Amino acid sequence: MSWQTKFGRVAAVLAVMLAALASPLHAQVLNSGASTITLQAVLTDSISVSLSGNAVNFNLTAGSSNNPGSVGVTATTSWLLKPSVGSVNLYAFFSNSAAALTDGAGDNIPSADFQISDNAGPFTTLTSTVPFGGANAGLLVSSVKILGNNKSGTRTDVLNFNINLSTLPNMNAGTYTGTLTIQAQAI
Amino acid sequence: MKTGKIFRIGVVALSMALATSLASAQAANSGAQTIALNATLAESLTLSLSANAVNFTLAAGSPTNAGSTNITATTTWVLKPGRTAVGVYAYFASAAAALTDGAGDNIPSSAFFIADNAGPSTALTSATVFNAANAGMQLANVAITGANKNASRTDVMAFNINLSGGTLPQLPAATYNGTLNIQAQATP
Repeated sequence: MSWQTKFGRVAAVLAVMLAALASPLHAQVLNSGASTITLQAVLTDSISVSLSGNAVNFNLTAGSSNNPGSVGVTATTSWLLKPSVGSVNLYAFFSNSAAALTDGAGDNIPSADFQISDNAGPFTTLTSTVPFGGANAGLLVSSVKILGNNKSGTRTDVLNFNINLSTLPNMNAGTYTGTLTIQAQAI
Repeated sequence: MKTGKIFRIGVVALSMALATSLASAQAANSGAQTIALNATLAESLTLSLSANAVNFTLAAGSPTNAGSTNITATTTWVLKPGRTAVGVYAYFASAAAALTDGAGDNIPSSAFFIADNAGPSTALTSATVFNAANAGMQLANVAITGANKNASRTDVMAFNINLSGGTLPQLPAATYNGTLNIQAQATP
């Protein structure tokens, strides 16, 4: 065997050994341990009602069924709700059905004679018992079913008012004052 | 006679010098004993965080919901020759549910942003070496040269959740939890 042949064989063996040593180093990336960061994001639920005005006047005509309020009031309800909520309800109510408005001298206009029209709908008396206010002194103005696409939303209700004095033809002249409350509930 | 004496004295002196010279040339040496030395500088790559929790107070539909705190990731390495890069990655296990309320409402990784070292805020929408598709980002890439085989790097991460896109403005009120992973890799 010539020295050239021997040299060639030795060189080939060395090349194979070098390749074998080099390959694992390049194939084995080095990873650090994974460090974790705990994330907590809180989206707080909320519901609010705002009104475009806070006063309505009535010029009453004795015995008339038609005594509209001086101005309509827009109630804007805004909400951001948890997944478990099924609906958002808007209520109007008095604290006392017998004396929604009173002259303070014993003469009263009951809630049964006070009417609200919501978004140009029919006028309805406040004679229901609702979650707020006195018994038989309220009205469910609107109800919004909460689905996947409106857990965050708003609604506007334009409220128009009327006092029906047809059932109170003998009411004394006087200034009758009262407080109507508008409130929303997510349930 | 005188010449003979001098000759004899010279011979004696020369003999003594020769004897001394021969004695110096014959030092006795022991055999050489070897000591095998093996020093190992282990290859290592570690990543540590300045904190492990971030809170967000979300506003519905808002694009800006900043994390309560920044977190600094410190990556430290000692590498063998042949390594050419160190990458630092941030990723979630799921792109669709980076954070979740556990009731089917999720914040995707595309709404989660990280700004690294005061750079631009970037959503976690890339596939990386560690995460599922479209749920991560590469925070940094350090080229390894002869001068930085033993080095470290810091990445200050600022976080934000953007709730303005897609259906996220309708995200219900809830507490959303998730885990962000930070990990480094040296290649090749």
